[in-house]
Amino acid sequence: MKETKTLPELRRGTVPRSNLLNNQPTSDAAVVITHEDIDRAHDRERVSATRARRGIRPRLRLFWLLIGPGILVMLGENDGPSMLSYAATGARFGVGFFVPFIVLTFAMACVVQEMTVRLGAATHRGHAELIFDRFGPFWGWFSMADLMVGNFLTLVTEFIAIRAGLGFFGVRPAVAVFSALLVLSVALITHRYWTWERIILGAAMFNLVFVPVALLTHPHWGSVGRALVTWRPLPGGLTQETVLILLADIGATVTPWMLFFQQSAIADKGLTTHDIRFGRVDTVLGAALATVAALATMLATAPLFAHHMSAANFEAAEFAQALQPFIGHWGAALFALGMFEAGMVAAITISTSSAYAFGEVARRPHSLNLPFRQGKSFYLVLLLEAVAAAGLVLIPGIPLVYIVLLVNVIAVLAMPPALLFLYMLVNDREMMGALVSPRWANVLALGVVTILVGAGLLFGISVIAPNALALVGGR
Amino acid sequence: MEKQYDSPAAAKVSREELTAVMTALEPDQLISTKEHHHCPRRQLTPTEMILFWALRIYLVFMFGVVVYQIWTGVR
Repeated sequence: MKETKTLPELRRGTVPRSNLLNNQPTSDAAVVITHEDIDRAHDRERVSATRARRGIRPRLRLFWLLIGPGILVMLGENDGPSMLSYAATGARFGVGFFVPFIVLTFAMACVVQEMTVRLGAATHRGHAELIFDRFGPFWGWFSMADLMVGNFLTLVTEFIAIRAGLGFFGVRPAVAVFSALLVLSVALITHRYWTWERIILGAAMFNLVFVPVALLTHPHWGSVGRALVTWRPLPGGLTQETVLILLADIGATVTPWMLFFQQSAIADKGLTTHDIRFGRVDTVLGAALATVAALATMLATAPLFAHHMSAANFEAAEFAQALQPFIGHWGAALFALGMFEAGMVAAITISTSSAYAFGEVARRPHSLNLPFRQGKSFYLVLLLEAVAAAGLVLIPGIPLVYIVLLVNVIAVLAMPPALLFLYMLVNDREMMGALVSPRWANVLALGVVTILVGAGLLFGISVIAPNALALVGGR
Repeated sequence: MEKQYDSPAAAKVSREELTAVMTALEPDQLISTKEHHHCPRRQLTPTEMILFWALRIYLVFMFGVVVYQIWTGVR
């Protein structure tokens, strides 16, 4: 039976507040308090109590309480196909042009994700919900189709990475994939956003395992530093292969699921406009950690370039095997474990982003704070998508590396339409009030869109008329 | 998309919990408010419509390019 109270009764002794989205105060109609509200309120109470205290320790605790979505989305995007793209980049090009290029792509990711922080904190709504409400179902379904297709293809590649990573240790594909599904399900048992976030954050930190692997290859730090500051030209000029790698590396950092995930996670975590500064720090910190892991992966496979080994036929586990002569068995094992972790964390975050988006547009309960009975559709979408993707991976004879690189390319191609929605929402004064994007943020966002469209067109030229690459400095 | 739904209410909510929820959450963070109060739809300007369609066509075309690349790759 629903227990209802009127707002004035409930607010006795408190100051009514209104959100920028609802410039008009909430109606005094009867309010239903759900399980989800209570859980979220407990999390917010801790934040308010910590914020009220002065000193370094309370500030650090506040930081600990508020970080999460940004780090998760950035390290989550360092997924199976992304790490494989970085590994292929290192093996094919060594240290050079791609060192600063990868730093640039993460800077682009920061620009984009910062907008979702503001949007989520100001509206308390997920990205899919806002697109449907503001632009109508016609454009909403287009956006959902882009997300769902992209997410499903990416999920397939996550299970490819999981299969390949565990394959290094002799684990059979079916066992590897089933174990991953089990881990994904166990993380959901908590039925608390906070607990889920902390577990996945812990797992995501394992992404940094590529750092010791890179150190084992004894990189020449002088060359790395020089590459970073001088930004040498692309070795060999623009070719079909280099364009594919360029796009794969961009798609390894900016993809549509990240927009949907971070905004929905911010709404689910309950962040408000007071938390935007921490949301930004969270995003930049996540990007910094992800950049370190990405560069480490590239440095780890650079010896394959130095020894003139081809990366053409390498898959995730084969990269580990190929590296074994340079970094030993333990180093190679760490590399394979890193691939498994990258696939595992991303499988969890990407399937969650699909479930959030589905719940938002189908108007079904969508929160990690929900018990299974109340959030059946949310959890079922999450699990069924993962099961379907995992099943596909077990089909023998799939050309792994090719699929993985193309998935990142598809992500780059789907980004400009997704960014247009985001750009318009974050500049919507009716919804955002004083939090609309300042001019400098809009200039940066348009710069990112221009780079993405340019990269997409370059890819189109390289496929349809490879000879025309000569016109833009290639061969 | 006009469908509304009601999330199940928490089975037993004490007055303390109710007060805590109302104090800790902003009004539009409440699920019942979110469910019954949606952003109004906005009218797209002709420029925005052109941009939306241009990027949609770009996406469809580029997906065609990817399919073509897969097809030539398989061959």
